[in-house]
Amino acid sequence: MTPSSNPVLAALHRVAPGSRVMTSPAQMAGYDADGLGYKSFRPDLVVIPGDADELARVVKVLHDARMPICLRGAGTSLSGGPVAAQGGAIVHTSRLRAIREISQEGLWCEVESGVNLRQLDEALQPSGLCYPPDPSSGPVCTIGGNVASNAGGAHCFRYGVTSNYVLGLEAVLLDGSVHRFGGPAGGNGPWLEDWKRLMIGSEGTLGAFTRFWLRLTPRPEKVWTFRASYPDLQSTERAIHGLVRHPAFPVAIELMDPRAVALVESSAMAVGLPKGHFLIVTEIDGPAALVDLRVESVAEVLRSAGSADVLFSDKAEDRDNLFKARKAMGGLLGQVSPDFLVQDAVIPKRALANLLQLIYDEADRAGIAAATVMHAGDGNLHPNFLFDSRIPEDVKKVEGISKRLMQRVVEVGGALSGEHGIGNDKSAYMPMVFGAESLRLQLAIPQIFNPQHQFNPMKVFTERRFAA
Amino acid sequence: MIAQERFFEHFIDPVDGVLCLPAASDAAAIECEASPHGLRFPLLLDRTAPLCEQVASSPFAPASSRYGPYCDNITGMNWELPDGRRVRVGERVVKSTTGYDLLRFLLASGSRYGRALDYVLRLRPACDTSLRFYLSGEVDSLRSALKALLHSSWMHWLDSVDLVTGDSPCLRVAVHCPSLELDAYRSFLSAFSKSFSLALEASADPALEGCPDLVVKTSPELVADTALSLAKHPGAKCVALCSCGVVHAFLPDSGAIDEIVRPIESALHAIGGHWQSRHVSPSPSPLEAPWIATLRKEWNLS
Repeated sequence: MTPSSNPVLAALHRVAPGSRVMTSPAQMAGYDADGLGYKSFRPDLVVIPGDADELARVVKVLHDARMPICLRGAGTSLSGGPVAAQGGAIVHTSRLRAIREISQEGLWCEVESGVNLRQLDEALQPSGLCYPPDPSSGPVCTIGGNVASNAGGAHCFRYGVTSNYVLGLEAVLLDGSVHRFGGPAGGNGPWLEDWKRLMIGSEGTLGAFTRFWLRLTPRPEKVWTFRASYPDLQSTERAIHGLVRHPAFPVAIELMDPRAVALVESSAMAVGLPKGHFLIVTEIDGPAALVDLRVESVAEVLRSAGSADVLFSDKAEDRDNLFKARKAMGGLLGQVSPDFLVQDAVIPKRALANLLQLIYDEADRAGIAAATVMHAGDGNLHPNFLFDSRIPEDVKKVEGISKRLMQRVVEVGGALSGEHGIGNDKSAYMPMVFGAESLRLQLAIPQIFNPQHQFNPMKVFTERRFAA
Repeated sequence: MIAQERFFEHFIDPVDGVLCLPAASDAAAIECEASPHGLRFPLLLDRTAPLCEQVASSPFAPASSRYGPYCDNITGMNWELPDGRRVRVGERVVKSTTGYDLLRFLLASGSRYGRALDYVLRLRPACDTSLRFYLSGEVDSLRSALKALLHSSWMHWLDSVDLVTGDSPCLRVAVHCPSLELDAYRSFLSAFSKSFSLALEASADPALEGCPDLVVKTSPELVADTALSLAKHPGAKCVALCSCGVVHAFLPDSGAIDEIVRPIESALHAIGGHWQSRHVSPSPSPLEAPWIATLRKEWNLS
């Protein structure tokens, strides 16, 4: 396709001359999928706007051309969110990378949507401030993607998830109009309603985000990291329950099941963990005068729950080692299996044994390898299923397990997603949680901003299909 | 197949630290459920007012400094629409990204789309010591001290840092901790107050100011001056929830609100701030009126 043969390309070149527009299969192959790699969709074109103004004009052109529009940051989503499920255009925000302002006194910053978390963290370091949400894709994932999926991470047990830190956002609506919801003060601005609350976590279905105002907090003065292993689930649960009630209020409480431990220990990332054991990694942070007082009592919680090998340190290098096994998991999955599915659900913590047993029973029966990690403080469960998508039967098995897992999650009072979003992976499960009236309330929201579902169709709710 | 409409039953789960109870419950009712499990709900403005009235009067309480606004501490609700239809919004787990965030939207909407019947509250570990420290002295010293405190890693461990106006404005720092940690807090605050030439007093008085007449949401760097400025109105008392950038104003006459907010409104809006009052029903901006009309139509509200 060339601008001379295609009116949409011609219009894009005219209104956004600084944008890069890609249409060749080789260029677009990298946009076929996100972290849910086995479900791929080829867009019709990819646009990389040069700045926010161009992005607004690009959206207007695509809207007028009646093309599906899917915003995409780094593409690290694990739920099939930023993919062209119904074809159309991918609008890539990789050039909106400016950190516009850091207000040290106001404890906020203003960033463009393509800024990634590592870039932001490096920029914030001299100020002594930090932006706490830390999804495991932090080195590359963008703030825009984080806000779209309301991302979390290991340290959000105490610090909270993305929605706790968004003071305001700027969104381009379908007609190309640009609106600011909130701002440095984090209120409504001139609006009666707090529309930004609907935008955060909306998975690209309401508008295209161009910039954000984020709340910052002081960096902790000191951090202690603890690692403990447990021979059985009962002792592991005792440790988790003790930690969540501890007044030291750990920042993170991370769990790996014995299958995840075995996966790490059979790799080059092995750290010498006992086989067949559960692993807990937890951290406390704060002023040195306080956290140093708390160290022994946290260690005692871990020991009294039944661990014989509690290790802890406040030295940066040691702490990295203690966290190493947990951090290694993400990269390992891609090395040991052609495909993997990282599920995401939040459960009441009492239901952990119930859910783990279901995962083991289902995976073993299907002959699918499964390794589970968990943000245990929040009850945020991440079973990882390893399979080969070239074998259709395996895909069917994994999707069947996922469906039964989510059914059980709902039965025990949990949520379908804690931090990955619904995307196209779990949209079919939404009727498990929403009754007719609740569903009506939910589907009213895109009717306000995106009634034809032109922004990111076929995501979140299966009803959201764009009639081009 | 679409699920049956689900609702929250009243319950307490001490492991997850969540409690579901009627939205009209007061502080005593919440404590009656939470205390036996060593838990507490720290976000209170008033001892006797129903929690739903407190939530409607301000999105923030003093302890929001440590725990965030009400909307981060109410994880779910049973909600009644104006025509009596009932739905559940949110979850009993703290973390969820499952559809559009109607929970926070509705919590911020007052009673325009109905009312909360039940809340699921996020509880926190209760400790055996609660104290308030008062730092007093010159206003400029208070300003400098406040700036330093907001940037200290102690901020995460102080229940609240409030600037309280009056004849002699002061900084009020609330501490809730195990008794064995109290000396560490005392040492820090003692050295801190000395370094800013401020006097330090401690009190176990847990008094709450009640529901504010006017709430101004600004940013932390502007909050002290905003509170001091609003307090110049005759008879007004202000409490600035400093890290939240929120001013709670208590006024002798709610009829004066328009006169108070008019001079600051446009500057507030420019930084994404706003004001609200339980005594005033605001109108939508022209731009959002059609959005609200669509929402009401889709929700079948007359």
